[in-house]
Amino acid sequence: MFNLTAIREQTILNIRDFDGWYGQKQILKNINMDIYKNKISAIIGPSGCGKTTLLRSINRINDEISDYKTSGEIIFEGKNIYDKDVDLTLLRKKIGMVFQKPVPFPMSIYDNVAFGLKIHGIKDKRKRDEIVKLALKRAALWDEVKDELDKPARELSGGQQQRLCIARALAVDPEILLLDEPTSALDPIATQKIENLIEHLSEEYTIIIVTHNLAQATRISDYMYFMYQGELIEWGPTRIMVRSPKKQLTEDYLNGKIS
Amino acid sequence: MKKKINVDFIVSLIFRIISYMTFLVVVLIIFIVIADGVRYFKPSFFIEYPKKAMTQGGIGPAILGSLIMISLILLFSIPLGLLTGVFLSEYGSKSFIGKIIDISVTSLSGVPSIVYGLFGLALFSITLGFGTSILSGSLTLTIMTLPVIASSVREALAALPRELRESAYALGAKKTETIFKILIPAGKNRIITAILIGAGRVIGETAPVLLTGAVFYSTKLPKSLLDPVMTLPTHIYFITMSYGADAQWMAKATSSFLLILVLVIYLIAFQLRKEEKNV
Repeated sequence: MFNLTAIREQTILNIRDFDGWYGQKQILKNINMDIYKNKISAIIGPSGCGKTTLLRSINRINDEISDYKTSGEIIFEGKNIYDKDVDLTLLRKKIGMVFQKPVPFPMSIYDNVAFGLKIHGIKDKRKRDEIVKLALKRAALWDEVKDELDKPARELSGGQQQRLCIARALAVDPEILLLDEPTSALDPIATQKIENLIEHLSEEYTIIIVTHNLAQATRISDYMYFMYQGELIEWGPTRIMVRSPKKQLTEDYLNGKIS
Repeated sequence: MKKKINVDFIVSLIFRIISYMTFLVVVLIIFIVIADGVRYFKPSFFIEYPKKAMTQGGIGPAILGSLIMISLILLFSIPLGLLTGVFLSEYGSKSFIGKIIDISVTSLSGVPSIVYGLFGLALFSITLGFGTSILSGSLTLTIMTLPVIASSVREALAALPRELRESAYALGAKKTETIFKILIPAGKNRIITAILIGAGRVIGETAPVLLTGAVFYSTKLPKSLLDPVMTLPTHIYFITMSYGADAQWMAKATSSFLLILVLVIYLIAFQLRKEEKNV
């Protein structure tokens, strides 16, 4: 399963024997996988396969769902993020997330991006201005909004709102960015912009994207992880996996036989 | 095929007739009450005291009394209702205590207003010794308004998209930061709408005020919260119950003014709700 190029690259996240349950129902079954630094990793699979649950376990946002239980480890910076003494605020600063539906906060464009900075105690206004500008630039939104930073964020278009959500996540300087179907609510042009942006961002961030759009995953990802009914069936470098999948299930999915 | 269309037509006709009837009732109430009263409106009516056994003068002290009363009710019930609603929506809904509070809030809104009046009389006027006063009256009405505001706040927060909460948590925000900086501002219009509708309802409450805070005639303005006041709804009640035909114009004019006041409050509330839908 592992090939030589993969081994030479540095991993940032190691998921080991990871299980997840909603009440009695097991959603994730013994997941073992590595995520490589500064790469784009795409988790693919049919709906209900557990890919979003897995993604939401990586920043522990799924803890908000009351009957969600896990076992196993997700190791980040040498530590299991499910250890009792983990500071969730700090974990989520380092592992940012963008959701399927763009949800700007009920405030101005500027304040949206600055929200995370205030939480993490950056009080110097000049420094904040600088970071907001940088984050908006990285999210390829600066040129479109630089003259109207005080405008309510809800007045932006859907695609702009999603880039604003990306800027908001980038502002707190994460190392990993989790993207949960970030383009499924957007039109093709806005989708194209986000895809370009994601490729660009992987120079500085590790990106993990969940998508049910196989073409998108093939286009932008370096690594692909195929999940089916709660299990990780196969993973590896995208171009190899797309050309010669090792498992029959993967091949069937790639050929559109299961969806 | 043809038969189906006929059934559809008849059913929609029934629905239409019934909803037009509701509309007609509303129009009739508004038209009759307001038209019957506005002809007595003149500047002095809103400022002066009632004179000569309610046959002349105006309703100045009743307007003032109602305004003081509603301000106090909002002052008490907004913070309490807001916090209760936040608790129910964000903390309590699954815990045992949360369920109990939830049931209490729901049953409180079903208690008849005269029962609130008796309760207020027993607790505030007698046991706590506030007597018949603005304080007793507004505390009693606060208890009535509280469940309305609390359950609307809860609904306003529950209607917000889950991603809004999660986006804040995903940035590392704590629960309190998320509630006060994101959720309440996001639900602001709905919350204000709910408060206004609550205010519109409580401003016309008669029975509880009658028992706890109102006086039928007062020659001087209240000096403290422990003084009783005249209010608009109790003024209407006293005139219709205890005065002769010569005084009835004042009841009509007062009803008309009260209804206009409530309508204005509701219009503001609906306007806010419309804005909410537009964004």
